[in-house]
Amino acid sequence: MVSAISSFIKNSSVYRTIKSGGQKVQQAFYDVIPNKVISSEKWQKRIEWVNKEISTPENRLILGVTALMSQPFIDAHNKSVDEDTRKVSVCRTLAKIIAGTLTGYFIRKGCIKAIDKWSKLPSSVDKAGNKIELTKLNTIFSPSNALSDVCNAFIQYKNALGTIVALGVMTITNFVIDAPLTKFLTNKFVAAAGGVKHDDSK
Amino acid sequence: MTIQSNISELASSNFMKCKNYLYKNYGESPGKMLVHTGVLGWILSSAAQVLAIVVNDKISAKEKMFLIPQEFADAAVNILSFYLVTNSFTSVGNKLVKSGKLLTPKLKKFVDEQKIQDLGKVTTDISTNMTGDIRDHFMKFKGGVSIIASTLGSILSCNIITPVLRNQYAARKQKEILAMKDKNTNEPSLQDAPQKSLKSFGIRPLSMADYQKLAYMKFSGNSGNMRI
Repeated sequence: MVSAISSFIKNSSVYRTIKSGGQKVQQAFYDVIPNKVISSEKWQKRIEWVNKEISTPENRLILGVTALMSQPFIDAHNKSVDEDTRKVSVCRTLAKIIAGTLTGYFIRKGCIKAIDKWSKLPSSVDKAGNKIELTKLNTIFSPSNALSDVCNAFIQYKNALGTIVALGVMTITNFVIDAPLTKFLTNKFVAAAGGVKHDDSK
Repeated sequence: MTIQSNISELASSNFMKCKNYLYKNYGESPGKMLVHTGVLGWILSSAAQVLAIVVNDKISAKEKMFLIPQEFADAAVNILSFYLVTNSFTSVGNKLVKSGKLLTPKLKKFVDEQKIQDLGKVTTDISTNMTGDIRDHFMKFKGGVSIIASTLGSILSCNIITPVLRNQYAARKQKEILAMKDKNTNEPSLQDAPQKSLKSFGIRPLSMADYQKLAYMKFSGNSGNMRI
């Protein structure tokens, strides 16, 4: 039934007109970009390194560092609010970025490590190169369609599952760790910045 | 006993389907995984904020009526800007490699050998007949480009677009509060007016003190939700 509706929509002239219009717009955009062959081996290795080493924890770290370089300045130049609000806003932003980035990075990293420990395949070996004995526990997150534990797809799968678990964990730590840590750091930063003239927040 | 074992078998089979789905969908698309987990992160973070307001006994029902829609509005801004910007960047990154616009010498050699025409067209997919080492090389290169693209997209959306949008929104709200304060000073009977007439003034049925307290809670540190 669903596939019949879907095929009816895809064969309709309205759908085909919209699709072809969208493709024309996309093509106009891509035509502006010149064709490029990356001949530098250094850059090829860097791109492969990114694929291998950068996942959600590192992405969170990069977002945190770049947030530190941009968001406090955006808040500091927000002329629509008074000076006290601006000062507290900058301090709170700094505190929130530091607390969120630290917990975000370490929880993601920890959950991915845990998933790695419990996703062994018949081809898995330990650090010494010995075959790992498969148990119910260490295969609990192993997919049945993975070919080898060293292939890129399996590494990305563990990153994805670890991140999903980490997001669940972080909905709790958001309140248990991030919020109190943000409050603590905000107060420290506000005090270090000389306090505020009219503190209405208490 | 049979029912229990059937349920357990069904759960186990569905769990395996989930794992295989994740492997198939994200194993070869790390950029897509970054976008989807990023969106899920925003959704969970926003849901947690709403839940915290819903279960907080110290916030009255009237205050909740103000805060919950505001949280949903914030969530919509955060999630939409993150998804639209980051997903667009990731799609462009993927398409550049897939269509043959961005290649390595190894991929260029493959494209020339296969006599693939229309390089750079949105409908072109140079990976159609790829197998073995060249496919592995292609996947690693495409994965790297898509991670770089999605990271750039998320930096732009989380660190520039969202804070600017939120500051503008917060400033507009502060102006509304000031306007209401002026109105309240000139018309002291307004606070006691029936809700219907308050609506006719285009404002919410909240007292000034409540409104200012909520506005402070909500907008004084105007950088939004706790990003997880």
